[in-house]
Amino acid sequence: MKRALGVATIVATALLAIAAPLRLDGYWLNLAYVTVLSVALAYGWNIISGYAGYFSFGQIAFFGIGAYATALLVADERWPWIIAALAGGLLACALSIPLGYVMLRLRGPFFAMGMFGMAQMVRVLVTSIPATGAGAGLFLPPSFGLVPVYYWTLAIAAGAIGVTAWLDRSAFGLRLQALREDEHVAATLGVDATRAKMTAFALSALIPGLLGGGYALFLTYIEPDAAFSARLDLQSIVMAILGGVGTVWGPLVGALVMTQISEALWATFPQVYLMIFGGMLVALLIALPRGIVPAIAERVRRRAAVGAVEAAP
Amino acid sequence: MILAQLAINGVLLGGVLALSALGFNIVFGVMRVVNLAHGDFVVLSAVFAVFAFEQFGINPLLVLPVTIVAGFVAGALVHRLLLRRLPGEIASAEASSLTLTFGLSYFLAGAGLATFGGRFASVPYLTGAYQLGGLQFPQARVLAFVVAVLLSLAFALVLRSTRIGRAIRATSQNLDGALACGVDVDRVRTAGFAIGTAVATAAGTLMSFLYNLNVQQGVLFTVNAFAVVVIGGLGNYTGAVLGALILGLCESFASYFAGATLAEAAPYVLFILVLLVAPNGILGRRTA
Repeated sequence: MKRALGVATIVATALLAIAAPLRLDGYWLNLAYVTVLSVALAYGWNIISGYAGYFSFGQIAFFGIGAYATALLVADERWPWIIAALAGGLLACALSIPLGYVMLRLRGPFFAMGMFGMAQMVRVLVTSIPATGAGAGLFLPPSFGLVPVYYWTLAIAAGAIGVTAWLDRSAFGLRLQALREDEHVAATLGVDATRAKMTAFALSALIPGLLGGGYALFLTYIEPDAAFSARLDLQSIVMAILGGVGTVWGPLVGALVMTQISEALWATFPQVYLMIFGGMLVALLIALPRGIVPAIAERVRRRAAVGAVEAAP
Repeated sequence: MILAQLAINGVLLGGVLALSALGFNIVFGVMRVVNLAHGDFVVLSAVFAVFAFEQFGINPLLVLPVTIVAGFVAGALVHRLLLRRLPGEIASAEASSLTLTFGLSYFLAGAGLATFGGRFASVPYLTGAYQLGGLQFPQARVLAFVVAVLLSLAFALVLRSTRIGRAIRATSQNLDGALACGVDVDRVRTAGFAIGTAVATAAGTLMSFLYNLNVQQGVLFTVNAFAVVVIGGLGNYTGAVLGALILGLCESFASYFAGATLAEAAPYVLFILVLLVAPNGILGRRTA
């Protein structure tokens, strides 16, 4: 019964997301795109940081790489956009292998700051290459329209949720969670730590890498501040934490709730947007440290337990 | 000659970087928290000094006591009201304190932006230079260096010879041992965070006449402090001073030979390299 309800909710949400472009246009379609983008970014971050426990402040580097690669391939090489965006994602994923090999030796705050530094270095490098137009940015031919980009992003979001659902119940996912709890013990029990976390890292790079291309097409103009947006990076972390780090449905709930709040804030108080957003993150960590989804799950479990006790003869 | 000049610039810069890093270090020592809002305290203090100078013509050295007290109070409040309330029992306690200071950093930068605006500014104070044997000693940098060294010595004195200083060092070295000896760790942490923030705001006021700053550059100073402390070894104060000199020299040489944009990447390159080659810092002991 409960399971059927869950499946029905998921199917309804999916149908709604698929049908959205048929009825929406202008601002609302933009909002739908930003929502789906946020969902997918939050899921990308959740794999390496939520499941494997390696908090990263630099996944936006892969988003930026995907965005710039796609922009260059479309504008200069005249590739079809979907192939260019795919290539951007694969490039980000390929670069994540040597980067991950180096960075994943760091732990805890060192990894978090190391990734932050890595993202800044990638940004400086990308913008110092003449082909990217340096700080001035790149224009894309504006002939795409938002609907294909929306579906591209929706497909990646669905894929990211699928991968996470698989992670949550597979042996590989268990290995990652063992790493998160205690890497030494996990290694003693026979988990190939390096391999497991590098796979997670590559997945967490592929998702933003694929999304970056779509974002470049959405903006039709990219520059460093947009491609390596601190705001998107912060948002995806806040969303995953709000919903519940390391859970299957946490990032979805967090991103759906947060995008609406964030858009409303951005529209009404652009001046103090960052202040309110940062303040909310702080308040959330204190009030709801585990996130919405685990808090609800806990309550449901407790009620079920009480019901069972009362029903007992 | 140019090399000697670059070295002088680097060392003078290193003095202020060292002061800022000492504040970052003490917070890590007592709480094992990497304070990502550190740089925002530095920058807010600098912007406040600029504001005081432009509006009321107050000399930044007179602003210094005010920012030190304000930093002390702000640090104590952040610990009492925020960090202490994080639930300690969840597995990702370290991650949640990191994320909390990350959010705080955006909060402070946003609050600063709303209050002071996003303009780049500095205090035009002591713009001349002393000449010595053909070398330039910019007055502002010399002054900032001297004040930073004096404040660092005062900081060392507090840690070395006062009761709270000893308690802070005991807590940093061995939490369980400190608890067993009856140290009120909760109070020590508040004191550590307060002192660390006061040191950060002091460094910020000195930077108001060294750098052209705006409120959103806190990240830069967090990264600088982090790099300095990583180079010297987290929790190691002598190492931090040495690390600051190394970073100061690197930034000075990099901006001359490679340009300002690439010099911005210097602290990142340095700390990633040190983390990979010598994770305990250049003075760090190897641990099992």
